[in-house]
Amino acid sequence: MQFMIQHVETWLHRVNPALKLILFTLFFVAVIFIHNPNVLLYVTCGTMLMLFWSGHPWKRVLLYASPFILVFISTSTGMMFFGEGKITWLKYGLIHITQESFYRGLHLGLRALSLAAIGLLFGLTTRPVNLFYSLMQQLKLPPKYAYSFLAAMRMVPILIEEFQTLRHALKIRGTKRQGRFPNIYKTIKRYSIPLLAQSIRRAQRIAVAMEAKGFTNDSKRTYYYRIGYSLVDIWFSVYFVILFVLAYELGAWFPFVGITDVR
Amino acid sequence: MIKDTQTAAGITNLRLKFPGNDALLFKGLSLSVQKGEKVLLLGPSGCGKSTLLQVLSGLIPRSVEVPMKCDDAVIPVRPGFIFQDPDTQFCMPYADEELAFVFENLHVKPNDMPAKIRHYLNEVGLHLDDPHTLIQTMSQGMKQRLAIASALAMEPDVLLLDEPTALLDQAGTVQVWDTIKQLASDTTLIIVEHKIDEIADYVDRIVVFSPEGNIIADGHGEEVFVRHKKQLADYGIWYPGVWQDYLEEYGPKETESNSAQKEYYHSEQISIPIIELERFSALRSGDPVIYVDKVSVSPGDWIGIVGKNGAGKSSLLLALMRLLKTEGAYQFEGKQAGKVEQLAEKIAFVFQNPEFQFVTHSVQDEVEYSLLFEPMNAEKRQSKVNAMLEQFDLQSYTDRHPYQLSMGQKRRLSVAASMIRDQAVLLLDEPTFGQDAKNTFAILEKLEELRAQGTAIVMVTHDLEIVNHFCTKVWNIKNGRLSNAVHDTARRNVASSRESRS
Repeated sequence: MQFMIQHVETWLHRVNPALKLILFTLFFVAVIFIHNPNVLLYVTCGTMLMLFWSGHPWKRVLLYASPFILVFISTSTGMMFFGEGKITWLKYGLIHITQESFYRGLHLGLRALSLAAIGLLFGLTTRPVNLFYSLMQQLKLPPKYAYSFLAAMRMVPILIEEFQTLRHALKIRGTKRQGRFPNIYKTIKRYSIPLLAQSIRRAQRIAVAMEAKGFTNDSKRTYYYRIGYSLVDIWFSVYFVILFVLAYELGAWFPFVGITDVR
Repeated sequence: MIKDTQTAAGITNLRLKFPGNDALLFKGLSLSVQKGEKVLLLGPSGCGKSTLLQVLSGLIPRSVEVPMKCDDAVIPVRPGFIFQDPDTQFCMPYADEELAFVFENLHVKPNDMPAKIRHYLNEVGLHLDDPHTLIQTMSQGMKQRLAIASALAMEPDVLLLDEPTALLDQAGTVQVWDTIKQLASDTTLIIVEHKIDEIADYVDRIVVFSPEGNIIADGHGEEVFVRHKKQLADYGIWYPGVWQDYLEEYGPKETESNSAQKEYYHSEQISIPIIELERFSALRSGDPVIYVDKVSVSPGDWIGIVGKNGAGKSSLLLALMRLLKTEGAYQFEGKQAGKVEQLAEKIAFVFQNPEFQFVTHSVQDEVEYSLLFEPMNAEKRQSKVNAMLEQFDLQSYTDRHPYQLSMGQKRRLSVAASMIRDQAVLLLDEPTFGQDAKNTFAILEKLEELRAQGTAIVMVTHDLEIVNHFCTKVWNIKNGRLSNAVHDTARRNVASSRESRS
């Protein structure tokens, strides 16, 4: 959900945001019901392929993806090391790796990876403003929710700046010298109360300002950005259909492991 | 009388009360504004001017629920409202989208919007290359002009402004008033403002409120200033000539402090500078934001840091506290400056927004806080805290929560709480920003007391009057550089010429 990061606009940016949201949600559900690791591998590859069209430089994509790689490793190893199965590969104390648990772990990791990739793709190729305009126009989201979200997003950079100031202020007032063990509850309270106080006040002011500009919860408003459907949306939907069909066919004809169900 | 067609906005016999307060804010107030009239509402903080403005615009009770009653009211059909804080009146990230938001509310056809957006941006003098500009990259003055543009986009019959320049620097203030003055002469304006230098001559009518919310004067500009100068001064209004009057009245104090200052200049040869910087620079995420060639700060100095927005003034203060990464030589009391925690024992820092530095729940605890870690018995600590509270006129609010204080009290508390460890140096980031005249002078006098006792003060400010009348030296920062040329202020020149004569 970038506001100001420089990037190239690709065909993925022109996909209708509401459609994109729905397709990605369907994708999410579909991936959960795939139990064949061969199919899932091809699905994951197909999703990662789309990151080529994110419009952002590779280094940045990798940077954003780094936490997801960690998720991949942690979910898969968690499953691999302590799983049940018939064919034991390694047993060392608590750790027990079997063939079944190994593939189950790999499968879970791939699932996490493909979902992370799709989430990242959504974030990198969707402007929040367009998303909410699309939700209002295509899915009839009441304007009061859409504009509240947009107004809230404007406050995020201000909040970060205030957090920084607060950190400096607390450092100077000597809150660090409170003993050897910092009291986490106290620390949270110390940060959250001033930040909340400022935010609540600011939210109230923005709300009044919006009403002063004639904002009502009238669904008959006009829209500066008219967001509709275009040819890109068809390509995008077709891409997903082909992705799943191909993944199933390739998974069946060119499997990389003999297991077809990890459950 | 209020029903006549010439009235743009008006209210008769208004009674209004804020929930939780026992007293009525208004007890039977009546005011009406004619079409095309330009009215300025003046009064002390808390007299209800801003509330009245919201009543006249219909925001109370339509958007803000406050219990109120009145006999009769003329509320504009399309009021245009401009608020005080440039950061809390937009809901969209880009300038064009913000204006489009208004047009959407008015059901303007999307095809007509781009032309209209350009039109209103031009009208307020915002000649952006591309209207699709991020609002957060604009200066405060530009943001406030965008706010005027979006109010104008409502095609208002009355324009209401609630202290539109209170949070702006001098350049921004001038921009905003120039924009307002260029508006069509038949626009009805109702303005609430403290800093009235720029508009005193422009408005047709000035209405002055007492602290109790009653109208005590209503007339033409000059007439009101002459007849009610005393009240205006008491209410802390920045009326034209407030500085001259202040200096005339408190002039003797000035010379007293000059003599104190003189003592320090006499001992200058022997007193070592407390802070010395040489080829010093501060970095933010790896990039240098401020470079200082060579300067020093001595006890009894009051240094005003001036420069444009974003020149690096606040960064320099943070660097002196070593809250930013620094390079180059920084000597404190002749030794290499240590870490933030060590410096904090010798340097006090007052932030622009006092609320961020309050860590406790009462005024008393707040002042006491930094002493709790010092080896000191309870009695001595108590007497020290009491002395500090008294010095800053806070003794009657000891149990109050810091957030419940007024703007001026919060500021004084932040200075008192920071200075409790008798630090040798006091750093302040725009301590008088957004304060009324009365509070400003009160703070400056407290600072002058500290300075006369030998505290070195380094202060970021936009106000050249303060620099000329209170500071002893000026650091002028241009594009992230503080050059060697440190200018003495008028005040110091006077002092030193006296010295040379004696």
